[in-house]
Amino acid sequence: MKHCLIVDDSRVVRTVAGRIIKDLSFSVSEAAHGAEALEQCRKQMPDAILLDWNMPVMNGLDFLRALRREENGKDPVVVFCTNENDSEHISEAIRAGANEYIMKPFDAEIVESKFSEVGLV
Amino acid sequence: MQDSTFNELADLALRISGQHIPSSKAYLMEARLSSISRRESFATLDDLVHCLKARPNQRFELEVAAALTGKLTRFFNEKDVIEQIVSHALPQRLKLSKSGRLRVWCAGVSTGQEAWSLAMRLKEQVGSPLAKAEIEIVGSDISSDCIETAERGIYGHFDVQKGLSIHRLMTNFTRHNTGEWEVNEELRKSVTFRRHNLLHPAHDLGAFDLVLCSNVLSGLAKSAQREVVDTITAQMLPEAFLFLSQKETGEGISDTIKPSRDMRGAFVKQSKPVKTAVA
Repeated sequence: MKHCLIVDDSRVVRTVAGRIIKDLSFSVSEAAHGAEALEQCRKQMPDAILLDWNMPVMNGLDFLRALRREENGKDPVVVFCTNENDSEHISEAIRAGANEYIMKPFDAEIVESKFSEVGLV
Repeated sequence: MQDSTFNELADLALRISGQHIPSSKAYLMEARLSSISRRESFATLDDLVHCLKARPNQRFELEVAAALTGKLTRFFNEKDVIEQIVSHALPQRLKLSKSGRLRVWCAGVSTGQEAWSLAMRLKEQVGSPLAKAEIEIVGSDISSDCIETAERGIYGHFDVQKGLSIHRLMTNFTRHNTGEWEVNEELRKSVTFRRHNLLHPAHDLGAFDLVLCSNVLSGLAKSAQREVVDTITAQMLPEAFLFLSQKETGEGISDTIKPSRDMRGAFVKQSKPVKTAVA
């Protein structure tokens, strides 16, 4: 079973996204900010990361840049999932190494479609 | 909704667009006609049907029939079919073309996503012979509202996230401040949309090298399926291809088409209709 780490400072978003991603046959873990996520990745690199942008302690973009410098940090498929929906933010995320981008609000069909685009389902 | 109202609307849909709406799908009528009902201030569909009968109006009947058609579509809904078209069918047609021009008809295109998807995929054919070809895509639908949406080429937040990768979105669309995304000018050059009822002849649309008609036939009555296929084949150039959705089969619908022998998933025109022997 593939593993997905959900990184978002909103517990509601983590719960909703978690349910959707479990339905796609993933096991799921959660982190409330980038630093916590990085710590989890160092212990066990997930197959996929659903990543918010604006979070306390360490934001999503800084986390992604740090992740890609880690050993095996290029392995996880990273899907941004954020309210930052303008072209500039999307381009910046892709330059930093994001594989896909979900603009909030989202639904199950969007998550499945985006995971399918990057070969996760 | 009274049974008689359902029957009137089902008859109307069958007569105008060839759609078969079973009584188990009565709830769809309520949903699909809710916007027209609201606009015309009908409290119920019974009132709408009463008005249609009391004051027959061809234009309004057409609008109601068009609204009853299913509009469920999304970008790259038929990904594998589009891949087959771009990788095999159109290159084969191009080899036969003396002018280097190809024409594709997306019949029953709803709000346009299928035509735009094909245009995007064709734009990605850098370095392939298709890149040098002049390929025109014509999308048609019975619904004026759908054609208007398709022509505007502006899609909402949820629409652009279903079936489209972020790379394709960023390459082919521009974001408006409203949060909607508009198809870029470059893509528009190759795509046009026309309102057309597939039960009527389509001579005005011209002849085509390839027709994509996905998720249309499955919603139609048997006799209408045959009429639609015959309308389409009348516009197909010799050896042109017809593609349906992967879930649909064209076999046994009309003797004007047969499965292609060398193009997986495609149909071609029968050179001569099969005649039934008469005793």
